[in-house]
Parts: sequence; C-alpha cells; structure tokens
Amino acid sequence: MCRQLFLAAVVCTIAGAACGSNTTSNATTAGASRSGIPRGGELLVSVRSEPRSFNRHAARDTTTSLVSNLTQSRLVRVNQATQAVEPLLAESWTTEDQGRQLTLSLRRDVVFSDGHPFTADDVLFAFESVYDEKTGSVLADSLQEGGKKLQVSATDPYTVVVTFPAAFAPGIRLLDSLPILPRHKLEGALKAGTFRKAWSLDTQPAEIVGLGPFLLSEYQPGQRLVFTRNPKYFAKAPDGGALPYLDRVVAEIIPDQSAELLRLESGQLDMMTSEISPEAYAPLKRAADEGRVKLLDLGVSRNADAFWFNLKPGAFGEDPRAGWLQRDELRRAISMAVDRKLFADTVFFGAGVPVYGPETPANKIWYWPGLPQTPHDAAAAKQLLASIGLSDRNNDGMLEDAQNRPARFTLLTQKGRPNLERGAAVIRDELKKIGLTVDVAALDAGAVIDQLLHAKYEALYFNADKSDLDPGTNPDFWFSFGSAHMWNLEEKAPVTDWEKKIDELMARQIATLDEAKRKTIYNDVQKIFYEHQPIVYFVAPRIYVAHSSRVMNLTPSEYRPQLFWRPETVAVVH
Amino acid sequence: MIRYFARRLAFALVLVIGVSSATLMLTRLAPGDFITESLGTGASQQTIAQQRARYGLDKSIGAQYRDWIAGAARLDLGYSMQYGRPVRDLIPERAANTAILAITALLFATLIGLPLGVITGSRRGGAMAGAIRAASLVLLSMPPLLTSLFLVFLAARTGWLPISGMRSATVPAGGALIDLLRHLVVPAAAIALPLAAMLERLQAQAMSEVIRAPFVLATLARGVPQSRVLWRGALKAALRPVAGVYGLVIGSLLSGSFAVEVITAWPGLGSLMLQALRTRDIYLVAGCAGAGALFLACGTLVSDVALAAVDPRVSEMRTERA
Amino acid sequence: MTRDVGAALVALALVAAGAAPIVAPHAPDSHFSQLLNAPPTIVRLVDAGGRWHAPFIYPWRLVNQLEQRYEEDRSTIAPLAWFSGGKLLRSSNDEAPLLLLGADNYGRDVFTRLIFGARTSLALAIASAFGAMFIGVSLGAAAGFSGGAVDEVLMRATDFVMVLPAIYVALALRSVLPLVLTPGQVFALLAAIFAIVGAPFVARGVRAIVRSERRLDYAAAAEALGASDARLLVRHLIPAARGFIAVQITMLIPAFIVAEATLSYVGLGFPDPVASWGTMLHDASTNIRVFADFPWLLSPAAAMFLVVLGVNLVMQHNRSPERLALHGYVRGPLV
Repeated sequence: MCRQLFLAAVVCTIAGAACGSNTTSNATTAGASRSGIPRGGELLVSVRSEPRSFNRHAARDTTTSLVSNLTQSRLVRVNQATQAVEPLLAESWTTEDQGRQLTLSLRRDVVFSDGHPFTADDVLFAFESVYDEKTGSVLADSLQEGGKKLQVSATDPYTVVVTFPAAFAPGIRLLDSLPILPRHKLEGALKAGTFRKAWSLDTQPAEIVGLGPFLLSEYQPGQRLVFTRNPKYFAKAPDGGALPYLDRVVAEIIPDQSAELLRLESGQLDMMTSEISPEAYAPLKRAADEGRVKLLDLGVSRNADAFWFNLKPGAFGEDPRAGWLQRDELRRAISMAVDRKLFADTVFFGAGVPVYGPETPANKIWYWPGLPQTPHDAAAAKQLLASIGLSDRNNDGMLEDAQNRPARFTLLTQKGRPNLERGAAVIRDELKKIGLTVDVAALDAGAVIDQLLHAKYEALYFNADKSDLDPGTNPDFWFSFGSAHMWNLEEKAPVTDWEKKIDELMARQIATLDEAKRKTIYNDVQKIFYEHQPIVYFVAPRIYVAHSSRVMNLTPSEYRPQLFWRPETVAVVH
Repeated sequence: MIRYFARRLAFALVLVIGVSSATLMLTRLAPGDFITESLGTGASQQTIAQQRARYGLDKSIGAQYRDWIAGAARLDLGYSMQYGRPVRDLIPERAANTAILAITALLFATLIGLPLGVITGSRRGGAMAGAIRAASLVLLSMPPLLTSLFLVFLAARTGWLPISGMRSATVPAGGALIDLLRHLVVPAAAIALPLAAMLERLQAQAMSEVIRAPFVLATLARGVPQSRVLWRGALKAALRPVAGVYGLVIGSLLSGSFAVEVITAWPGLGSLMLQALRTRDIYLVAGCAGAGALFLACGTLVSDVALAAVDPRVSEMRTERA
Repeated sequence: MTRDVGAALVALALVAAGAAPIVAPHAPDSHFSQLLNAPPTIVRLVDAGGRWHAPFIYPWRLVNQLEQRYEEDRSTIAPLAWFSGGKLLRSSNDEAPLLLLGADNYGRDVFTRLIFGARTSLALAIASAFGAMFIGVSLGAAAGFSGGAVDEVLMRATDFVMVLPAIYVALALRSVLPLVLTPGQVFALLAAIFAIVGAPFVARGVRAIVRSERRLDYAAAAEALGASDARLLVRHLIPAARGFIAVQITMLIPAFIVAEATLSYVGLGFPDPVASWGTMLHDASTNIRVFADFPWLLSPAAAMFLVVLGVNLVMQHNRSPERLALHGYVRGPLV
C-alpha cells in the first residue's frame, strides 16, 4: 500500500514539475520529497491550557494563538530567527510618503480551505473586524498607531493600500499580528454584531475555514486539539512540493509541567510549545545523551524579569517613606547592591546573562553593547542610600531614615512562578546585606495585576514582556501615556523631565525611516533609561528547548513557540 | 418517609443555592477579576472598562447577583467567561469524567480498605496488622499532589501505562474501553490509595471497639464460627462510622480532586474549578460550587440511608412518625 | 509497648521542634548559593586513605551548575563539632556546611528547615485539630443528643461549611487583609479557618455515635439513676466517640499541614523565609527531579508520617469506660 502511494507521489511530482512550477500539486504525502525532507506523519505537541475561543479576536491566550497560527494566515510574518519581515499572503510591498503609506501586492491563486478564492476584500474585512466597536477585538490595540486606526483600501482585487496616521517606520511589522479571516463565512456575524461570539469553542471544526497550513479537525474539551493538513495551502516547499510536510498535528492539553516533561522524556510527546524550566535541564540532558531527545540551547531570552517601584506621584500619600521610595538613587543603589552573577546562579542555575537595561543581547539589532554596566558595589550602594537620608543610625546593621524609622518596603510578586519567586528571594537577601528590609508578598496573577492597575503596590517584581523586538512596536511601554508604562501607567502628561525626553526621542525614532538614525536615537533612549532606572533588570535567562529525535527541519528561535512558529516547515521521520 | 425525602430535597436545593451564591459573592470580592487576568498587563484603562462592560462586570455585586439568580431560576447558569460556553453545558461534561474516576476509585478503595480494616481491627498485635497500619499512615501523610506525582513518575519509568490524559489521540487496537481503563489506572490509584487508607483506619478503629461488645461474646458462646461472627455480625455493627462518612466521601470525590486531575491531565470537575478560580470566572465558579453542593447533599442522603440500614435502631426515617 | 514507642516519637518531634535553635545546625534563613539541591553530606569515620578520624564530612564541590551535580571534595576534611556555637552539632568548617538532609533549590539546609518547620506546622496542626475537635464534638454531641430541629439545623450548617470551598473564603479575605501579615497573624488566621473547616467531619461522626449510644441500655440506666444531660454527655456519650475522634485527628493533622500550602497559593500562607512542612512538600512536588534525584526533599512527608504514627500508636488502645469491665472476658481466637 505504501509503495503504491509513494509511486503515485513520484508520478505526481514529476507531472507537476513538467506542467510548470505554479500548478497546485495535490500530491499525496507519503514518501520523501526530493529534498530529503520526509512528508507525512504526525506531530505531538503539548499546550498548557485549553483554548478560550477559536476566534483570535475574542481571546489572546497562547493556545488560541496557536490555533490561529495553524489554521489562519497573515499578510506578512516576522521571521523570529532573523527578525526580517517575510512575505506570506502579501508577495511584495512598497513604502511611500515617508512611511505613511504601504502598498501590498497580494498573492494570486490563493484559496481558503473550502475553495473560496482569497482577494483584497478579505484583507479589508480583516481590518473591519479588528476595528469593529461592537466586537471589541483584543487585537485592536496592536493594530493602531498612536491610538489611531489605520486606513485601508483596495485598488484592485490583489492590491491593498494601508495608510498610517503618521510616518511609522516599523509599520509592516504590525501586520504580523492580524489574521486574515474568511469574509464569506464571518461577514454575517460582523454585520449582526455577533462577531465576537463567532467561532467560539462550540463551533463545528468544519466551519473554521482559513488560509493556514492546517485545518482543525477535532476538539476534545479538556484533552486535545487535532489538526490535519490543509491540501489547499498556498505556500510551497523550496523543492516545489506541497506544504505542510506534516499530515497531522495533535496538541495535547497538559496543564502540569512535570507530566509534560515525563512524556517528552519517554517519547510520548514530540515537543512543547514553550521553553523548559531550569530544573528540567538535567533529566533532558540525560535523555539527550541516550539519544531519545535533542536538547537545544537557543541563546539568551529577549525578555528579563523586571523590578520597579510605584512611581506614581502621591501613591504613598502621607507615608513618611514617600521621601525616599520614589527616588532614582534608591533604584540605582539596588541595581548596584544585587550581585547579578549570584542572581543567575540561584534563579537560573547559572544559565542566565546579566542585563542592565530593557534590551538583552538577544535583540541583535537594537541592543546597545555600549550601555554602561552597573558594577556590583555594595559600599557605593550604601553611600547612595546615605545621600537620600538612609543610614544605620543605631548600629543594628539595618538602615533607618532621619526619624529612625526602619528602611523597609514590600515587594509584590506572583505566586506559582519559580523564576519570580526565587528572584524576589534573591533581591530580598541581597538588599538585606546593605541594610534594606524587604517583605516579599506572593499573590496569584489576578491579584497582582489588580494591584498594578490600581497603583496600590510599593515595589513589584514581574514581567514586562515585549513581543516584537522593534521598540517602535512597543509604544505603550515607552511613552508616558502608555498603558504598559509600568512604573506609572497612563500618565496624563510626563511627570519627570527624563520621561518627557524619552517621549520626544521615541516619537522621532518611530517616525524616522533611516535605520541607522533610529538606532542612534534608541541608544540615547537606553542611556536615559539607564541613568534613571525606572525599571531595574537583573538577569535574562538562557532558553532551552527539547524535542524528540524524530522531529526535523526546525527553525528554532528563542521566542515562543520556539520550535513551532513556522509550523508548515516542521517534519517528522516516520 | 416521603416527607423525610421531601425535606431533604428541599434542603439540598437551599444548600446548592446558598453555596453557589456565596462563592459568587466571594469571587466578586476577591482581588482582581476576569478582565485583569485575561488582559494581563499593557491594556489601557479604556479597554479594561469596555471589556468589563461587555462581560457585565461593571454592575454592582447586588445587581449581578439578582441577574444571576433570576437566570438560575430558569436553569440558565450564565456563560463561562473563559470558554464562552454556557455553564450548563460545561459542568455535566466534566462532571461525567470525574464521575468515572470517582466511582472507580471508590470501588477500589472500599474493596481494599474495608476488609483490611476489619483484619487490622480484630487483631491486637501481629506483624501484618502493624504493616497495614503503617502503610495506611504513610498514605495519609502524603499530600495528594505528591501521591499523584509519584504514580505518574512510576508510570513514566515503567512504561506500562499512559502517563496522563483520559484517552489516547488515536484509538488503539484494543478498543476505546480498554484505552480508557488504561488511562484510568493512575488517577484512580492516586485517589483510591489515600481513601483506602482512611477507610481502613476508620474501620479498624470501629472494629476494635465492636469486638469487645457483649453481643459478640454472646454469639461466640452460642457456638457460631469465629469468622462468621467477625464478617457478619461484628462488621455490620462496625460499619457505623464508615457509613457515616461514606456519603461525604462520595460527595467530595464527585467534586473532583484538583491535584490529581491537574497532574494526570484528567479533564474533570476539580481542574475546571481550579481554572475557574484562577481566572475569576464567576459564573463557572458558582456553577461548580453548586454542583459540589448537590453531590454532597446526595452524598449525605446516601450516608444517612446507609446508616439507617446498618443500624436500624437509629433510622431517622422511623423517628419521623413520633 | 507500642504505645511507648508512639509516645517516644511524639515526644521526640516536640522536643526537636521546641529546641530548634539548638538542634538545627544552621539559622532558618541561611542559604548557600553554591549548594543548590546538594545531596546530604555523609558523616564518615574513615577517610579515603583508610585512616580513622572523629566524625567528619567531605565538602561538596559543584561539578555542573545547570545539571546540579556535585562531587565530594576528598581533599578537605571538615570535622563535626558538638555543642559549639550554640548548636548541638555542626561542621567546624564554614565552607563545608553540614547538610544532614541535603539542601533545597534555594540552597537552604533541609534538616534545619525540617526542624523549624516542625514548630510551625505541628503547632498549627495541633491548634487546628484541637479547635476542630472542640467545635466538632460540641456541635455533634448537641445534635446527636437533642435530635429533632436542633439536629437538623446543626447538621445542615455543617453541610454548608463542608461544601463551601475554603479557598474562596481565603481569596476574599485576601482583599480585605493587609498585604503583609506577620507569621503570628497568619498562624491565628489559618488555625481559625482550619478549625472551622475540619469541625464538620468530626461533628458528623460524633453525632452518629452519640445518637446510637443514646439509645443503649447503659445510657437509659444512667438517666434512670439521675444523671443530668450534661453528665450523660460528658461522662458517657462523648467518651464513646473517643476512638473515632482519635482517628479523625490522625487524619486531620496531615491534611492541615498540606492545606497550608494550598491556601498559600492565594496568598494566605506563611511568608517566604518561614519554613513549614506544607510549603516544603509543595516545593518538592513541583520539582520534576524530586523522585529520581532529590529524594531528601521529601523528608517532611517522612516526618509527618512518623508524627502521625506516634499519635496513632498513643491513641490506639482506646476503650470506652463501660467496656473496660467486659474486657477481661474477651479472650481467645478473636483477640
């Protein structure tokens, strides 16, 4: 049986090649392609939680994203390994009018999984659904520039023009987050105002039509999602054969990390969709030595956990500590007092890299190696603290302020995340050495975010992750009015001079098209950030992933999902 | 008799409504809500307010409760905010999975625990009794998280059983039922072993008291064989405390043990409830708590019936006439 | 005999917990950053060359940090010192700390945390158990004795408490409590919660026993002799439930210790440097390598088992006073 299929595959590929490279070859998938990458087979991945919806506009959890990545497609895709923007549904594009206008040429002869042709109308529909008020899409914030929507129009069925409200250098990168959904299936829901409820978990899998490499074939609540290959997928392999290589992807829902790891070790799982924890390194190394899995070191992460104080003016009210809790000197002292090597050793078992600013060496384009590195100097830290009135007045080893009140504050962090909890413990113990008393309070995620939003905390150790590496795509973090301006959310006007300066610099950085100039401006921003340290960063972890030995043709990147961000090219030996 | 059951039913209803309402209010009072957890950091105040309004979280607690109870009267338990599905659909689905697990575990625990308890209780000394008691105490000292982790670890190391999940992705050659049974072993054992230990301890204690009763001595004196005295007469009397807690056990098992379900990836009610708590999915929380209350109410009813069967002197149903 | 063994176990646990600052080789918050998850230091008498010494240990040397592998540094001998520095037993070399049960994933000595944790956890469990017993026995006896409406109300109330998950109460409490609580405040809060949550199980069982005992002849006899309700309850009926109560306590103690870790998930647990068996076990359970590589992290489970065994042995020969008279007659094959 297999041999006949293989023969058929060979015949079809030869016939396809003979007819010209643009014919959609419906070649069957058994057997190896000419490039040596095997076609067919099943991949078992694990996800940590159930999807909340099959509609990317209704939920933003990782599993919903995964479903969207597998079944839908976008205009362009950011290559997570090289950071370049790659064409996907858009073949090519040009920028005009100093970056204000983006003209995209769409691929022709692309059809949805149900055979309906893809045209510019579907792109327009995608933008309509994102901006629709009634829907309240979770993607709306990421498809805006400076709080304003983008204008989209179609000049012909295969050309789309996107206009930005102002010159926006990283403009094309925004399109990586917009899935192109089928107008013919969902327009009714949009018009009726029920778009958000469309494609909920109750939907029949056959209803979910898309341009992606896979089709959702089954959803077993609480257990797994099963995807099968989309025979009508538009992209082709380098050898002209059909993509995806895989026949089937099964995403098992495994909430517990230990069970996930045991399955990976014993071969009942091919790969996880996130990195392994430091504890898991040793058993996986053993399994790798025995040839059962392959362990990959993907380099340093692009995000480090963040430590910051509540810098909202008046947040501490009558509290006498307000005099020193919001001072720059306190944060610079803390940055000097914490031994980053010890931090990396304790929290990540040595697999961590000290960082001194918001960028890590993983961001090859934007990281500035010239950024000064804070020395580990406890004596200098104590001096800095003395300069804001904190010194050991009663010789008990701990610092007090001018009225002999102990220098003490509460550090809030999230319970159940070992990196955060251990990191907070290290901070507490290191600061004890210079005389500051830190009380660590660990709450669950909802409670922590609640405290953050109401600015009720004193200090917070949490993650302020960025998704895309271009700082221009992260305005909410950099601008003082931003909703991710962690230390002082959504300021009405910049509270400090340096925040004002950063606002100005970032505005210029975003509008300039010249890459070299953008880099210089961003270096200045990093310098100002370093001088005032609104967030203190300590260590960025190294990312390790593992996969079974049967998986091949991966393009690993340190950003989640590390091994599966390009699902159509993954193949298995079977 | 009818009046008795009617009263119990009425109370069960009160309990269900009371517990659901209480958990709904408590989750509303808790720090953070569904929006903060789902949007995470980086969402603007405007977006948060909009989404809150969309999910009805901007209503006052009183208004929200009124709307919910009005819906509950029509058996509309609201929508799960996480999954966008009616609570009424989610819970029976998961409860069925937990029920499979619970019944299996209960069966094994009873079959192992009760007889062992009789044996240990009727012998004062003896190595076997001591060993069984030690084993029970070990199991009682281990937290359920640890027991399930250990069993999963064993399954992984030996390779005999699937490590987690309820069914395989592709139905294997033996058929779906065998597949389910193989997946059932680890989670059921994780629940059954500590439960068996508890039943054994209770039974041993009760047994050791009963065998000293005069009626036992009298029966022995009449010439009835020792084993019959033990396994018929004494056992019936000694089942009293076990019968008392049995219903509670059933009730709590049917609500699901979240530690076991999370580690073995068993899609049951316990893990659903934990997830609902974590995401502050209030209607789902209320629904799960209500289901738990319902199971407990049924459980205590079963328990009281069993108690009456075992000890006819204390039939509550009979005293109703007086 | 076994009763004495049980008493000895319990006494040992209580003494070790009470004398924690002396018995434990290290301070409760000390940690060794180069010894994360280090194995126990083996106490030896003979060194590699075959020479005899006073008890000593070899220090651990880190071989691979990410894999957390250690090997003994045979070049240094660190003799153990008794009664030095205010400690019962410690290593005389500060660079080679004595780790009788290894170190946890933050580099803290597990044995030290076990002893100090005994203070926290045992005190909490005992306080909660007594509280649960007190409340449960009172309610159960009252319900079983009175019958009728009182019985109904009390039992339904206990049903409500039993089915309301404590974790939601804890979560709601979190929003009204200050962010940082002292260990004493946490202790009081947890003991109160556990006592209330544990009471229904005791109440149910006691009620069942009191109900049935109530109708027995000896109770009627006592009443006929003029015993008041209170005397009947306290001297005859409640003691009949002693066995059951003893078993319940045996089961509640480990449950309470573990429940502390569960409640700390919503922020209502002991703050970090404070050691407690529940948290230690929880941390061990989340460490993937615990069974294969770091079994010493499970020592709190072993400690809990020993304590529970001790309590169980002490309480095992419980007989209701009336039966004592008949005890002498029940001999032979059954006993």
